[in-house]
Amino acid sequence: MPLELLLALVAGGISAIAAILHLTGRSERTVLTQASARDAWLRHCPGDSIRQVRPAADGHAALIAAQSGAGLVWSFGADTVARHLNGAAVSPVSAGLQFDFNDFSAPGLTLALTSAEREHWQALIAAAEEAA
Amino acid sequence: MTGQISYPDVTQLAVPFFIAAILAELLWIALKKRGGRYETRDAVTSLIMGAGSVAEGLLLGFVAWGLLMLLWQITPLDMGTSLWAVLVCFVLDDLRYYWVHRLGHRVRWVWASHVNHHSSQHYNLTTALRQTWTGTFTFIMIVKAPMVLLGFHPALVLFCGGLNLIYQFWIHTEAITRLPRWFEAVMNTPSHHRAHHGRNARYLDCNYAGVFILWDRMFGTFVPEQDHDRPDFGLVHNIASFNPLRVAFHEWAGIFKDMARPGLTWKQRLLYALAPPGYSHDGSRSTSAGIKADHLARHPEDAGTPGFGN
Repeated sequence: MPLELLLALVAGGISAIAAILHLTGRSERTVLTQASARDAWLRHCPGDSIRQVRPAADGHAALIAAQSGAGLVWSFGADTVARHLNGAAVSPVSAGLQFDFNDFSAPGLTLALTSAEREHWQALIAAAEEAA
Repeated sequence: MTGQISYPDVTQLAVPFFIAAILAELLWIALKKRGGRYETRDAVTSLIMGAGSVAEGLLLGFVAWGLLMLLWQITPLDMGTSLWAVLVCFVLDDLRYYWVHRLGHRVRWVWASHVNHHSSQHYNLTTALRQTWTGTFTFIMIVKAPMVLLGFHPALVLFCGGLNLIYQFWIHTEAITRLPRWFEAVMNTPSHHRAHHGRNARYLDCNYAGVFILWDRMFGTFVPEQDHDRPDFGLVHNIASFNPLRVAFHEWAGIFKDMARPGLTWKQRLLYALAPPGYSHDGSRSTSAGIKADHLARHPEDAGTPGFGN
């Protein structure tokens, strides 16, 4: 197959599929509730004992306090990902909180939080660090 | 030895079929409201990984080709290009695929290349195209050497490898539940391969087959998909990025980061590259064996069921 035709097929195919998916509502991020955030954490850390789940107001993340330590679960497209916070750098930004997990597979994450949420989360994370 | 032989690049020729099949699956899911899930960024990432994999083949394919042609020059055997030779080559190549795939899950150096194929939490036809960009760096093409030394021309070996990949495309779907019993017994199917993509403890390191599931049945790695324990797709530790560069290179970055840790012995550094995924020098991580053991500690009732010692 001529390279020009292959390139056109690939570029056209990817663009068409992306457009169809987006226009049919398949770009929505999942929204976490108390229960779904708990399930999501246990999916990533089976057998963990969860003490507290605190979803963000916009539902796109939740702070987890568990036996294995403090963690964050957040929406990743239609799914979720999770990471423990030990070793992560958490810093306040104007929009909320920024997390740097020092992990190539989980690049920096900025969560939108209200100022009250941000302060509360910072306090919870600091308390978890002290407890550890 | 046979002189100049050429076969079509079947994976490139199949691109229009891939696009049409993805659109058909999407339409099926939309109409039936079942049979799988699609997400825009996940699908686009998979498609870009597929395009990049083709590009990698165009750019670095000469490495494997050069090696295999070198072996072709020294082998005294020539199986020719008859239909029988093609069929035998196809079956042997599928056996080769089984072992390469098994190594790809059991040796972190090879897993670093293969992991991206498992990095989607979705399972649809775009997942099939989420292919590696770094296969050449694993040097795993060396496993094709015995076939060339047996007298199969490198062009034929690569042709059969392409057919194998095309077969595997259609099994990446939730739209097909199960096929007739005889087919499920012999061939790799959507059901068998869904189990392979499961991150559940039960399904770790099973169903490595490309075309014939018989290899897994023969070598003891077959686990049938369980209706009461549906595969949960993705990685044990899912990646948190749709960036194709991170998808392609994250495990390589992890290997080099681990190997460069201070205070390790040379053996420990080597094991971070060659031991099964999940190895750690201090036991702080779990391999698939550890994950299965932890699961059985929590669910002893699963002992002896498929995937747990049976």
